[in-house]
Amino acid sequence: MTRQQWLSSTGLLIMIIVLVMALILHLSIGTKVISTNELIQSFYAYNDENFNHLIIQELRLPRALIAASVGACLATAGALMQGVTRNPLADPGLLGMMTGGALAVVYWSSFVNDASLIWLPVVAAAGALFSAIIVWLIASRAAGGMTTLSLILSGSAFTAFSGALLAIHHLLDQQTFEEMRTWLVGSLTASHIETLYWCLPWIILGLIGSIILAPSVTALAMGEEVAIGLGINTVKRKWQLLICVVILTSAAIALAGPLGFIGLVIPHVVRFIVGADYRWIIPYSILLGSIYLLVIDSLARWIIQPQELATGLITVLIGAPLFVWLVKVRVR
Amino acid sequence: MLIIRLYKQHISFKLNILAVAFTGILLLLLISILLLSLINGTYQLSLQDALLSLFSQKQLISDPQASLIIWDFRLPRSLVAILSGALFAISGAILQNMTRNPLSDPSLVGISQGAALAVVVLTILFPEYIDDWREISAFLGAILIASLIQLLRGKGRPLKFILLGIGVAAFISAIISTLLTYGNLQSAMTALSWLAGSVHNSNWHDVSILGVACLILTFAGIYQARVMSVISLGDEVTIGLGINLRKTMVIQLSISVAAAAIATSVVGPLGFIGLLAPHLARKLTHSGPANHLLLTALTGAILVLIADLIGRTLFAPTQLAAGLVTSLVGAPLFAYLLIKKQT
Repeated sequence: MTRQQWLSSTGLLIMIIVLVMALILHLSIGTKVISTNELIQSFYAYNDENFNHLIIQELRLPRALIAASVGACLATAGALMQGVTRNPLADPGLLGMMTGGALAVVYWSSFVNDASLIWLPVVAAAGALFSAIIVWLIASRAAGGMTTLSLILSGSAFTAFSGALLAIHHLLDQQTFEEMRTWLVGSLTASHIETLYWCLPWIILGLIGSIILAPSVTALAMGEEVAIGLGINTVKRKWQLLICVVILTSAAIALAGPLGFIGLVIPHVVRFIVGADYRWIIPYSILLGSIYLLVIDSLARWIIQPQELATGLITVLIGAPLFVWLVKVRVR
Repeated sequence: MLIIRLYKQHISFKLNILAVAFTGILLLLLISILLLSLINGTYQLSLQDALLSLFSQKQLISDPQASLIIWDFRLPRSLVAILSGALFAISGAILQNMTRNPLSDPSLVGISQGAALAVVVLTILFPEYIDDWREISAFLGAILIASLIQLLRGKGRPLKFILLGIGVAAFISAIISTLLTYGNLQSAMTALSWLAGSVHNSNWHDVSILGVACLILTFAGIYQARVMSVISLGDEVTIGLGINLRKTMVIQLSISVAAAAIATSVVGPLGFIGLLAPHLARKLTHSGPANHLLLTALTGAILVLIADLIGRTLFAPTQLAAGLVTSLVGAPLFAYLLIKKQT
């Protein structure tokens, strides 16, 4: 192993430790602060008479697990998109996939009578895939080809369009608006642990797929010609990567609603740490994404106790200034 | 081509006859849609009654409700739609010309959001001042955001202006959502209905504000029209032709921001009108910048009027906000423009 590899592996280990610490922070903080001792006790000596144990195991642990998996999914999806489109501003939310998936979920849960959780990720995936393809098609047909600008513009046009459709649907159907309101801002409050069970296979599939495909993302990020020269079937590989992105994004949508800018922020921080090799970027993104969302969600529950802020609002409030900074530095 | 010289050539301009004809046609179209919008609605009126009550011939009207409905509800509403549409269109036309980017739009680059943020803050945190300070705070918010984006952009390309605008817009939307979610419910609902871009609460006070603004800004725009055509040739050419670039930019940005901010303060952020109206007007005919501005304003007015008409008749009695209709129609057209763009 070279020195670089040693450093990166050590970093990965540190990340895992930080992740555990973030998890402990997330579990112990809240309206009722629970000591670390009692927290650990609740895992190996669970006592359902103890109220604190109940809070941790029944309320906080599911939410923490959901936050961690959503963060991992979105960060990985963002990293893949930034690599493949060679666009530093790519993010599942900016490119319309979030609202597309959300729109599909809202339509589905109001028009289908027995809306069960099993199909939620699949429906979100269909919506996200559909919107990704539309945005992609519009951007690639634009004069000058698929550039940063054309991708983002077509993404924001699509977001505006589906946003209007959502608003109309809410006007006509007050009941779903009541049910969906918190979910649509991007919040972990209303998430159920059952949804995680149905999403988990998809998440694992998407993450493993991304790790396997990571070396070719490095090649694609160097340019189409380089990738072809290295013997990669670019068309086929891009489709595989798109499917990975869609699976990851839609699992995140199904779990937490549209959470903006996580996919944009994390890969940039990761690239700052480990450089341009996607074999490292992907695992780091998975870990850092989980840590980030755990910390953000802890903040969301802590800032205005005993109420809580919607997590999606905080991610945008942090992510959007970073986006502005990126435009300022990276776009010439 | 018609050339007019007045006062020993102190005032002289060139008129494209086709463009003038189109201006007339659009004006007729606007009036006929206005009539259509006056008679249609939950309570159907006959054209005769509408016309008679418009010209105050009370004794001849067969329907006693007609006068009330027209003067108190439909006429102010339609006029607000027309005037705000014209303002958004003027704002978009000037912005597109100034940034030399055919895809600029006040709602895309953060100007509308700036106005929206100011009004929402006012509605939720200081509800007692909302009636007096709405327009001024909207203008201040819009100009603040516009100058912030200009400042961040530095000497970058117009591309940067748009991308920065999108980022700033996302940031502001998050703040607005925070305010809406955690503010007082009553004021949040008021702010929410305003945010959808709706003209349904219009009264004559709104009409007078928009009317004055529209008059002043249209003349200001026409006065700036000659400089506008020079600016579209590029910064170097503009300076070479002896125009104070910085001053002109400030004036034009102010006109554009003022138009968007005032319209936003009354009807809320209506998407895509400022983007589409200039393009549609250019599709109709090629004309000088002044005439183009008039055509654009008329097109914008017609677009919003139609959007409002569709919004309140399509799913009646549920009323869709005009802003939703303009987004639904505008976004696909925007995508089409993106594909067609030849620059």
